[in-house]
Amino acid sequence: MIIKERESTHVYRQKRLFTKEELEAREVLCVHEQPAYCNAACPLKLDTKAMVAAIAEGDFTKARALYEKITPFPHILSAGCEAPCEGKCKLCSLGEGIAVRELEVAAVRWGEASKKRGLLRKKTKKAVLYGMDLFTLFLAGELAKKMYPVTVFCAQEDYAAVIAACTADLPEEAQAASAASLAKMDIKFEWNADPASALAETALKYDLVCASWEVANQVYPGLEIDEAVMVCREKKLITGKTEGVLGAAFGAKKAALSADRLAQNLDPANTRGEEGSVETKLYTNLEGVEPSVRVPCDTKENAMAEAQRCIQCHCDECIKGCAYLQHYNKFPRVLTREIYNNVSIIMGDHMMNKPINACSLCGQCSVLCPNGYDMAEICHMARQNMVSTGKMPLAPHEFALMDMVFSNSEAFLCRKQPGFDTCKYVFFPGCQATAIAPATVRAAYLDLCNRLEGGVALMLGCCGAICDWAGRYEMHENTVKFLNEKMAELGNPTIIAGCPTCKKELSTHENVEILGIWEILEEIGLPEKAKRLDKPIAVHDACGARGDTETQQSIRRIAETLGCIVEDTPYSGDKSPCCGYGGLTQFTNREVAKKMTDKCLERSGLPYLSYCMACRDQFAREGRESMHLLELVYGTSADHCPDISEKRFNRLSLRNELLKDVWKEEVEEVELGFAIDYTPEAIAMMDNRMILKTDVIRVLQNLKETGEAIFDGDSGLCVTRARLGNVTFWVKYTETETGFMVHRAYSHRMNVQTR
Amino acid sequence: MATEKTYYTIDPEGKLTCMKCRVPLHKGKAKFMYLDNGFPVELPVCPKCGFVYVPEELALGKVLSVEKALEDK
Ligand SMILES: [Zn+2]
Repeated sequence: MIIKERESTHVYRQKRLFTKEELEAREVLCVHEQPAYCNAACPLKLDTKAMVAAIAEGDFTKARALYEKITPFPHILSAGCEAPCEGKCKLCSLGEGIAVRELEVAAVRWGEASKKRGLLRKKTKKAVLYGMDLFTLFLAGELAKKMYPVTVFCAQEDYAAVIAACTADLPEEAQAASAASLAKMDIKFEWNADPASALAETALKYDLVCASWEVANQVYPGLEIDEAVMVCREKKLITGKTEGVLGAAFGAKKAALSADRLAQNLDPANTRGEEGSVETKLYTNLEGVEPSVRVPCDTKENAMAEAQRCIQCHCDECIKGCAYLQHYNKFPRVLTREIYNNVSIIMGDHMMNKPINACSLCGQCSVLCPNGYDMAEICHMARQNMVSTGKMPLAPHEFALMDMVFSNSEAFLCRKQPGFDTCKYVFFPGCQATAIAPATVRAAYLDLCNRLEGGVALMLGCCGAICDWAGRYEMHENTVKFLNEKMAELGNPTIIAGCPTCKKELSTHENVEILGIWEILEEIGLPEKAKRLDKPIAVHDACGARGDTETQQSIRRIAETLGCIVEDTPYSGDKSPCCGYGGLTQFTNREVAKKMTDKCLERSGLPYLSYCMACRDQFAREGRESMHLLELVYGTSADHCPDISEKRFNRLSLRNELLKDVWKEEVEEVELGFAIDYTPEAIAMMDNRMILKTDVIRVLQNLKETGEAIFDGDSGLCVTRARLGNVTFWVKYTETETGFMVHRAYSHRMNVQTR
Repeated sequence: MATEKTYYTIDPEGKLTCMKCRVPLHKGKAKFMYLDNGFPVELPVCPKCGFVYVPEELALGKVLSVEKALEDK
């Protein structure tokens, strides 16, 4: 069987992954970019988190620059701010929250004032303020910053008096500093004026008229204002009543924005953008954070110590646990958007194909994310989408898909237990168990036949997860149909799955009763030859068992019965990461797969006990003592890691041996008519290059038929080739007395011809 | 005649022999085809039977990288 290669690169077809609304609905679940709790609480939009981080590093000047962004009078604001951020600090739930206001004072005290001068040109519209209170003081600063020519009519006689009148409680030093900065601002003061009569007499000369609440009320008793924009529409007067230091500062911000709108003759209420404090959807994990108390910010060092208590709230729950997300260093929100765009590309390079195909589809993210962000689903949908538009290359998945085809054809077996017309059960060990530990599968089947009443059929094959992972939905449908037919032939017995992924996959079929072999073993007890393993081990939960607490618990109980001391590891149970095999990552991206395996192994230094044969194999390949639960149960261990050819050989031999031993059917061996030997170099090379011995055999058979080969005088090797399906395989060999010695093998997908 | 672009050229320099036809391979015109894209090349070709030899370095180098680039088009 040949799987069809993708279409021409010149076929320009495209299908949306999902609607724009759905994209947004998914993206919003990722809270990584949500503001920190302190930032969200600040109506002035101080980047509190960044400011605290700067102080933690001892960079008070940077902290002050961030602070000066939100206020023209940092001394005044920091001294009197009511600091709603402090109550929102995440640390409050453990101990004391960060003393943000004190850190602001520290930033102003030890940081250098920003020397940045506005490069903006003066605006043409002129602003005037009548009467100085805290609100108009802040407003004068805001308007000057916005480069309006500002004139102030006040009763006071100088800067110091203005500051003193507005901020009675401010410490002397801060008052002096504020007066100095007020003096530096480009504001024209009319000292010793009567602001109320000045308003009545001079207001018409200005474009933007502002007044303190007191002066406004003197001139226009009982005037009504729109609090949201700090404007009395009737009198075209910017004013308002504010409370507290933060209230005055925020009121001034709103009023300054209204001034901008009025300067353009626009309604001050329209298109103002987001103002004030906001709600944040951020999630921050406090696991491992110790409660702590405030450090008084009386010295630079103490202020730094206080800032260093800050945990810099952020959400990276998914990325912490996932080697795939770490590899691409992207949060699901960003990744989703890029995948969405990738799928929409009609022609040109699809840069995200590799990330789409590198996800293990294990679903760990959906458990780790506080909002259940499911990256696996998106990658899976994207794969199906690419298959449907003919954009999915076959190269990354072809080997695995052909392996599945092999499992469900040549190596497939479906038989009732001898002597039974109907069987109550069918054992479905899965394609990885038969490939990696055939002796264990054999022992398990014979044991089940022996100890279960009602007959146990056997089905050796692939559950269909492989083509599902590859996004090949048609192939998947056909596989489901094929397996359903075979199950029907057996009379739809209860399936005993040997693998949690098979269990999960097959349980989606209609009218299926399915159990894990572990559940049966718990019921009938362990066989006599079960191997005790009296030592501490780490259980690696299979991604196929995510959400299946019963299975996870059952495995642990059996392990404990066998003497294992099960030690808990981080990311166990539903949070378990993928071993690197899932989602075909092992085939599409070995680098990421290796990182996934390493990520699993870094959780514990103990031997790993798995209940999925793919996990067992991945860990053993990395040199970790690794065993499958069934190896313990049946005292049969797969002692080495089979290469890709051995995996196929194992499946086929298991099938043929069982046919012979259990069903007394002889399988005729096909005689090749010649011998093939391999140099160790060739064996390693073939495994690495995903070239099977059966591929080499077919190439050499073709040689026998056609005689087509060349001799390379440089290497002394003969070279022959054959096109097998979508791939051309080349074999370098020497002739031996009985056949061939294979020295090297390689392949390419491009077709070559003379012209 | 316009000169056609040749993406790759390799001369067997008499070191390769077709075992079927017992003649040396020469530098001949060949073409790689993949996903409906064609690349004219010059490779060792048997003048009698037309066997085109794709050396290992070429298959694992340039050919592989072009394959990968096209697969993601
Ligand atoms: Zn020839």
